[in-house]
Amino acid sequence: MNVEGSTDGASEVLRVNNLSKNYGGLKALDSVSFAVNRGEVLALVGDNGAGKSTLVKALSGAQPPDSGSIESGGQPLQLRTPRDADAAGIGCLHQGLGLVDSLNVPENVFLGRELQIKRLGFLRQLDHASMRAKTIELLERFGIHLPLLNEPVVRLSGGQRQTIAISRLLLQDVSVVIMDEPMAALGVEEGRRVLELVSNMRDQGISIIVISHNLEHVFQIADRIAVLKNGQLVDVVAIADTTRDAVVKMITFGSTH
Amino acid sequence: MSNNNASVVSKTVGHADRRWLFHGLGLTVVVIVLAIIFTLINPRFATINNLANVLTQASHIIIISVAMTFVITSAGIDLSVGSLVALVTVIGFALIKSGLNPALGVLVMFVLGAGIGCFTGVLIALVKIPPFITTLGMMVSLRGLALLHSAGNMLYGLPPSLTWLGQGKLFGVPVPVIIALATALFGAWLFNHTKFGLHVRAIGGNREAARLAGVPVNLIEILVYGFMGLLAALGGLIMIARIDSTQATIGTGMEIHIIAAVIIGGTSLFGGRGSIYGTVLGAILLAMMTNALVIAGVDHFWQLVIMGFIVLLAVAIGNLRESRFPALATLKRRGR
Repeated sequence: MNVEGSTDGASEVLRVNNLSKNYGGLKALDSVSFAVNRGEVLALVGDNGAGKSTLVKALSGAQPPDSGSIESGGQPLQLRTPRDADAAGIGCLHQGLGLVDSLNVPENVFLGRELQIKRLGFLRQLDHASMRAKTIELLERFGIHLPLLNEPVVRLSGGQRQTIAISRLLLQDVSVVIMDEPMAALGVEEGRRVLELVSNMRDQGISIIVISHNLEHVFQIADRIAVLKNGQLVDVVAIADTTRDAVVKMITFGSTH
Repeated sequence: MSNNNASVVSKTVGHADRRWLFHGLGLTVVVIVLAIIFTLINPRFATINNLANVLTQASHIIIISVAMTFVITSAGIDLSVGSLVALVTVIGFALIKSGLNPALGVLVMFVLGAGIGCFTGVLIALVKIPPFITTLGMMVSLRGLALLHSAGNMLYGLPPSLTWLGQGKLFGVPVPVIIALATALFGAWLFNHTKFGLHVRAIGGNREAARLAGVPVNLIEILVYGFMGLLAALGGLIMIARIDSTQATIGTGMEIHIIAAVIIGGTSLFGGRGSIYGTVLGAILLAMMTNALVIAGVDHFWQLVIMGFIVLLAVAIGNLRESRFPALATLKRRGR
C-alpha cells in the first residue's frame, strides 16, 4: 500500500494537481495534490470549512476550480459540468440522493438512460422487463436485496434509497464514486449494509472517495485518509500506519505534533 | 438469508403498484354502483340509447382529459383548454365554411392547437411563469381572440364528412366514442410505456432530480403543453362535429370538468403519479352524474353547484390518499 500523495502510477485512476479555489478573499482550496488508486477507499476528513465540499465539487464538475488540474491515466480532464464528470467515469452520490420518489426502483435506476425496444417496427417503448432484470442483476452483483422493486421508492428506507442511488452510478460503469456523508441519517444496521456495499464496490475495482465526519466509520472502511485543514492538504496516511488520535490531531492542529 | 430475500423479490415483482390497481378497481365499482342506483331511480338511464349518449357526450371530455393527465402529472395545470377549444374551432370552422378542404381545415386546427400549447409550454418552462398564472392569462387572451375572430357570431353547417366524426356510427358504435377510446389507449401507452411518459412522471415527482439524471426537463414540459393543445383541438373537433356548430363562448368552464375528471381518476394534483384509466373512468363518472341529474329534471344551476362540490370532494379524497404517502408532503411544500 502506498502512503503519501504519490503512487506507483499503474494503479492510479485519478490524480489531483495543485487544485486551488478562492471565494472572494477566502482560500477554500490551496494547492491541493493527491492521487486515488484503483479499488481503494480514500476518506476525506476535516473540520467544517476545511475544503472537503469544494474539493468534491471540483471532482464532480459541479464547480470548476480556479487553478490546478485533474488527471485520469495521465490525461487531463475538463470537468466543467456534472455531465463531464459522468463521461470521465466519476460518479457523485449527493446527500439528497437525487431520486424521484414517485417512480419505482428500475425507473429510478434507469432514468435518463432508459432501455427501449421497438414495437410495430417504428414505435419505441420502454423495455420494462429488461430494466427490471438488469436492476436485479446489478443489485445482486453488489450483494443488495431490494424486495419492493415495483413500489415508488418513497416507501423504501433510507439505506435502501441509498443503494438505489449507488446502483444508478454503478450502471454507468463508473471508476470513481464520491460519497458525501453516506452514513448520515442511517440506522446501525443500515449503516452496516452501506459499509458492506462500499467494500463490495472496492472488490470490483471501483475507487471510492468518502467524506465523513465519523472517524469510527472511516477507520472501518477506508484504506487511506486525506486530512484537510483550512483548504490545505495536511497529509494522506494509510489506515495501517496511523491511529484515530493522530488523525484527530491532524484535523484540529494541522499536524500530529 | 439470501434465499429468503430472493423469494421476497419474486413474490413482489409483478404486482405493479397495487395501490393504483386498487384505486382503479374502486373507481370501477363506484361507476357500476352509481349506474345501478341511477337505473333504480329512473329505468330510462339504463337504456342502450341513453348509455351510448352518455359516452358520446363524454367523448371530447375523455380526449382532452387524457392530455390533462400528463399536464397534472408533470406538476402543472392548464386552465386555458376551454378557451383554446373555442379559438381553434371558430378558426377551423370559418376556414372550412369559406371553402377550405375539410381535411386541411382539420390539419390547421391541429397545428394551431399544438402550436398554442407549445407556446404556453415555453412560457412555463423557459420564462418560468407558474403554470396556474400562465394558463389563466392564456385562458383570457385566447377567449378574447376567439371573440375577435368570430365577432361573436354563431357558426353552423359543416360538411357531412366532418359531422360524421361527431354523429356517425361504425359497427353500431358512435364514432366519437371510438375516437375517445383510441385516444385513451394511445395515451395510456404513452404514459406508462414510453420514455416521454416516464420523463413526465419524473418531472412531476422531482424536477431537479430529473434534470440531474439527464431528462430534458424544459423540452418535455413544452411538449406536454403542446400535446395538451393538440388533444384540445381534437376534442374540440369532435365536439363541433357532434353539435354541428360553434361560437366563441364554447367550452366555457370546460377546464373545471376536465380537471375534475383527472383528479377523480386518482392523478395526484402535486404531480408525479397519475392514471389514464382512472381519468377515463372519472370522465365517464362525471358524464353519468350530469346525465342522471338531467333525467331527474334537476335545474342547470343546481347542476353547477353539485358539480363544483364533486370537484372539491375529489380533491379532498385525493389529499387523504396523499397523506398516507409521507414524502409527498415535501412535494407539496415545494410548491410549483
